[in-house]
Amino acid sequence: MTSSSAPSRKALSKIACNRLQKELVEWQVNPPSGFKHKVTDNLQRWVIEVNGAPGTLYANETYQLQVDFPEHYPMEAPQVIFLPPAPLHPHIYSNGHICLDILYDSWSPAMTVSSVCISILSMLSSSPVKQRPADNDRYVKNCKNGRSPKETRWWFHDDKV
Amino acid sequence: MGNKLGRRRQVVDEKYTRPQGLYQHKDVDHKKLKKLILDSKLAPCFPGDESECGYDLEECPICFLYYPSLNRSRCCMKGICTECFLQMKTPNSTRPTQCPFCKTSNYAVEYRGVKTKEEKGLEQVEEQRVIEAKIRMRQQELLDEEDRIRKIPDISSSSTTLAQGEVGYNTVAETSFTSAVEGEEIVSLEEPCSSIRPSLRPRQNRDDEFDLDLEDIMVMEAIWLSIQEKGRIRNGDSAPPEHYVTGDQLVSQALPLPAESSSSPSGGLACAIAALAERQQMGGESSGGNYNANTATFNMPPSYSRFSDSREQAMDSYGPSGGSIEDLHDSQLAMTGVGGEWGLDHESEVAELGSSYGSCDVTEDGVVAMPPQHEIQGGFQANNGGAIVPDSFEEQMMLAMAVSLAEAQARTSVPRVAWQ
Repeated sequence: MTSSSAPSRKALSKIACNRLQKELVEWQVNPPSGFKHKVTDNLQRWVIEVNGAPGTLYANETYQLQVDFPEHYPMEAPQVIFLPPAPLHPHIYSNGHICLDILYDSWSPAMTVSSVCISILSMLSSSPVKQRPADNDRYVKNCKNGRSPKETRWWFHDDKV
Repeated sequence: MGNKLGRRRQVVDEKYTRPQGLYQHKDVDHKKLKKLILDSKLAPCFPGDESECGYDLEECPICFLYYPSLNRSRCCMKGICTECFLQMKTPNSTRPTQCPFCKTSNYAVEYRGVKTKEEKGLEQVEEQRVIEAKIRMRQQELLDEEDRIRKIPDISSSSTTLAQGEVGYNTVAETSFTSAVEGEEIVSLEEPCSSIRPSLRPRQNRDDEFDLDLEDIMVMEAIWLSIQEKGRIRNGDSAPPEHYVTGDQLVSQALPLPAESSSSPSGGLACAIAALAERQQMGGESSGGNYNANTATFNMPPSYSRFSDSREQAMDSYGPSGGSIEDLHDSQLAMTGVGGEWGLDHESEVAELGSSYGSCDVTEDGVVAMPPQHEIQGGFQANNGGAIVPDSFEEQMMLAMAVSLAEAQARTSVPRVAWQ
């Protein structure tokens, strides 16, 4: 269901392609700890395994992130979602959408897949409770037909988790 | 006329005064761009190289291509090539452009030509710090991992390898550092670097200390354990394992313990080491546990205080000598200072990646600091009475001798030396 929700995809621009290739090389040399890139020949969609940090609510749990890159990456943010089952977290909806500002309004082209991953792990790690967002059902219902989270108008209110 | 001092109209090939087609730029005022480039207010639009290939090139952190020179953001001095900069400055945006690196609003760049030696040196220092921080994080991870699988008895050897790895690394760090700090201009260039300079040395020294400390800690912990056990025998009550948990508790525990009649602290230590050796040879009880528990925590500030405390207690019970106990207090203070520095390092990284990164660091710390403490408890109990590994015994004896030597040295020279 969720995996079909990639944005209508245009091929990567030359600059996006070049940058992603370099990011991938850098990742292979120096992967962010707790993450594993699943090898594919698709540069435009990365599937990344996330291991919950030890000592947190998500210790010993593994989740999968799907990162889709737009034509104009890095000027445009990648689309990052959790593949089902998404972790139970106050900012992660059951359809895998993540409420995290750097994935949307606060994206900066100076960020990388690696830095985004670290931010997401940080968000997971700081969670005090395993639960869905309060508006989960309503939001997920509105997201039918595989709408991209980048089309959501997010409201970032909680800077603690 | 009209030329500012030091800003010459640079000779730029006509074709580098317009974008090279890295992006499909919209709304670019080509005339203005050309003027800015000719006036040396923006870097020429050289075509970016795929790799550094030997030349003295800089990588643009946005497009990851290499250029002879980059523009610098006014706020945080980060480089950016002209074409990426043009992409950042979208004229139709409703809000002022933020710096992509530090999020300062009203992003603006300036061009200073090819980087000077000093600038490159500064950057090297910065990179070095990042690398060091990464290595420290990595080590903690490894140690946590070891802690988790420490039921496998042969772990002490792998921790030795780790320490060796760091020694090799440190020699590299030292050389690049000295080259970076040469020249007085670095200090006058920017405020932050004056704070970078003093902090670097101690930190590297501390790194050097790490591997020694690890071993010291092991021995000390063993000594402390043996004392604890003696006290237990003497007092007839069994000390609960909770005493290992925090420094505070240790201190309060240390005071009521009766002092033995040994005359000097090094004598006391030697005594303790002998006791340890004896104990190991006969029973070979808890050595496995000691090793592993200690490797788990040596990297963290809390363990420092634990370390000092346990040593302090050794002194207390084996004949108090005011001088060296004060030394110990000194060293403890110094180590607390180091902990503070860690925090600062974090902040500088946080600034680069925004708020979310910051919370990440906090949790990293938390993650690292919390769980091993619990696991140590289990470790001590589980491994008590376990078999001893002969290798680690020999190693431990050697270390014990080294410590007692260092102790003797410390009494004749500057206090801090004891911990080097």
